Amino acid sequence: MRPHPVFALVAANLRRHSRDRVGLFFIVVMPFVSIIFVGMALGGGAAASRLPVGVVAQDADPVAAAVLAELRAHPDLEITAVGDEEELRAGVRGGALAAGVVIPPGSTRLELVMTQSNGSGMAARSAVDASVGRVAGVIEATRAATSAGATPARAAELVRQAQAASADVEVVNSDTASGTPRGFAYTAPANLLLFTFINSMAVAAALVESRRIGMLPRAFTAPVRRGAVLFGEALSRFIVAAAQAVLIMVVSSLLFGVSWGEPLGVAAVVGVFALVATGAAILMGSLVRSSAQPSAIGPPLGIVLGMLGGCLWPAEAAGPTLDTIGHLFPHAWGMDALLTLSRPGTGLADVLLEVAVLGLMAAVLLSLSLVLFSRRTRTL
Amino acid sequence: MTSTLTCENLSKTYGGVVAVRDVGFTVAPGEAYGLLGPNGAGKTTTISMLVGLLKPDTGTVVVGGADLAADPMAAKAKIGYVPQEIALYPDLTGRENLRFFCRLFGLPRREVRARVEEVLDLVGLADRADAKLDTYSGGMKRRINIGAALLHRPELLILDEPTVGVDPQSRKSILDGLERLVADGMALIYTSHYMEEVERICSRVAIIDHGSIVAEGTRHELVELVGGADRIELTLDGDVETALAKLRGLGGVTEAVRTSAASVRLIAEGGRYLLPSVISTVDGIAAVTAVEVVEPDLEATFLHLTGSTLRD
Repeated sequence: MRPHPVFALVAANLRRHSRDRVGLFFIVVMPFVSIIFVGMALGGGAAASRLPVGVVAQDADPVAAAVLAELRAHPDLEITAVGDEEELRAGVRGGALAAGVVIPPGSTRLELVMTQSNGSGMAARSAVDASVGRVAGVIEATRAATSAGATPARAAELVRQAQAASADVEVVNSDTASGTPRGFAYTAPANLLLFTFINSMAVAAALVESRRIGMLPRAFTAPVRRGAVLFGEALSRFIVAAAQAVLIMVVSSLLFGVSWGEPLGVAAVVGVFALVATGAAILMGSLVRSSAQPSAIGPPLGIVLGMLGGCLWPAEAAGPTLDTIGHLFPHAWGMDALLTLSRPGTGLADVLLEVAVLGLMAAVLLSLSLVLFSRRTRTL
Repeated sequence: MTSTLTCENLSKTYGGVVAVRDVGFTVAPGEAYGLLGPNGAGKTTTISMLVGLLKPDTGTVVVGGADLAADPMAAKAKIGYVPQEIALYPDLTGRENLRFFCRLFGLPRREVRARVEEVLDLVGLADRADAKLDTYSGGMKRRINIGAALLHRPELLILDEPTVGVDPQSRKSILDGLERLVADGMALIYTSHYMEEVERICSRVAIIDHGSIVAEGTRHELVELVGGADRIELTLDGDVETALAKLRGLGGVTEAVRTSAASVRLIAEGGRYLLPSVISTVDGIAAVTAVEVVEPDLEATFLHLTGSTLRD
């Protein structure tokens, strides 16, 4: 394959895209508008923010008071007092609360309210379990000391000493999975996938235009292999998709402090997703007749896939059915992978399944689209 | 002299419908070859096979000694193709479009700048080279469309309707430029709906209909195919019927018909030279108020061979 024709096609296509002011607005400005506004709506901040947990309890009850104190002291939880159990359940169902705890007065049996298959709920449960466990430990230790003959005051003193001694032991939990990140940490990867896909679809308009005006058939009359022309067109779209992704990563890191995770893993995920977007763009460029159609069809399609994939709101808020449907499409796999990588201690090995699925989707889309595109440009 | 293009027995069938059947011709260096035919006759399919866009079912195409099927890269490097549509990027400038085609055709980087300037001068667009193509007039776009096919100095230039929608001034500029290229030794294949362009540019013409070449030759040879008789249109004032009877008996007149109350049409060999005899024959019977002698032309030949006008 001669390098000249491929580079010529890529250079011409990129120059054309660089002159499309509307297209540039959607590539350079819109993603960050979305990241900022949606990110602020979801709580802002780059780090995984605290999980909202509602509690129905009476402060006067000693057990409730102890549990509440532990829960409030937990760094991952934001405790909200809720009036009654019904209100609590509505909050969890609606997604306003990651989980809820009901502490009946005078009882040591606590009721945890959460939705199934909810990542935030699972994380909240884990934190609540830890807090409740500590209270239970104190109660048990006090009982044991009392049973051994200590006065209540002495028992309390012994328990305090034991707690102080245990505070010297630092437990480092490398598995810091604390549910879905919030704020910019969530909207940056979501908008990376959303806009990489949408803008790839939109730039397919130039591909349709090249086909329509006979530019591609004319290129095939040059001493250039057909595959080189197709490769050049595909590479042009891939570069646009990859550039969109890199731009969002760099700017969100610098401005919003978003931590994307292990570079190799992120590069693999973003690379295969850009290939998926490239395949979708060429498929669009092969199927439609008018250069206005990609701009009309691409964004709504990208938004719907983004909704299903958890790019507009956390997938856990959509429920298991939509989550399953979402995983028929690339965005959900991309979100899973990028959110996993955003957690400390994760890497490429943790997202191999997602990368493999995205790679398969990319291979199918690229093969299908290039065959179709080649057929569409075969005749004058 | 060795031909720049030799094509033999080209055939192409689409789903049982024969688009082109056994088409073959040669074009020599410095020769302009016209390809005429009504819409759907098979011109575009033939051209698509000549430029390598379509693979023929049968037949061969050899350009500058390179077989298009066996060595497509070498053969394509010798062809410049000007499609009917403006196949250029509208959002790039004229210069950028030409640079793109230089790279597509593999011109060495150091030659690109000079060659682009040469071609811009050749097509008369050096002063608009840095304007975006979508700001060009129709004629300017046509000129740059041709220029893009000349960058790699092809031995054979194939033009498919290169002057469609062009104003007379631009058309003249394009035709003048093509004549210079032919004079410089470039072989040229030209299709057009404008018969006068083909008559002006092409030394040989093939008339293609229903996928086959129905006639081929110089303009003179083609006209001879339908006979060399001229048509004389007369408008008379007087006794038209008597005048018509007299004219039928005039030597050299093969046919005389009344076409309206005051008009008569004569078919005669060497009509221009017969005109004085025609006028003296009707003298005293009717006054000749208007006369037109129409020589046989390619249009008439085309009509005769294909049964349609070129714009059908």
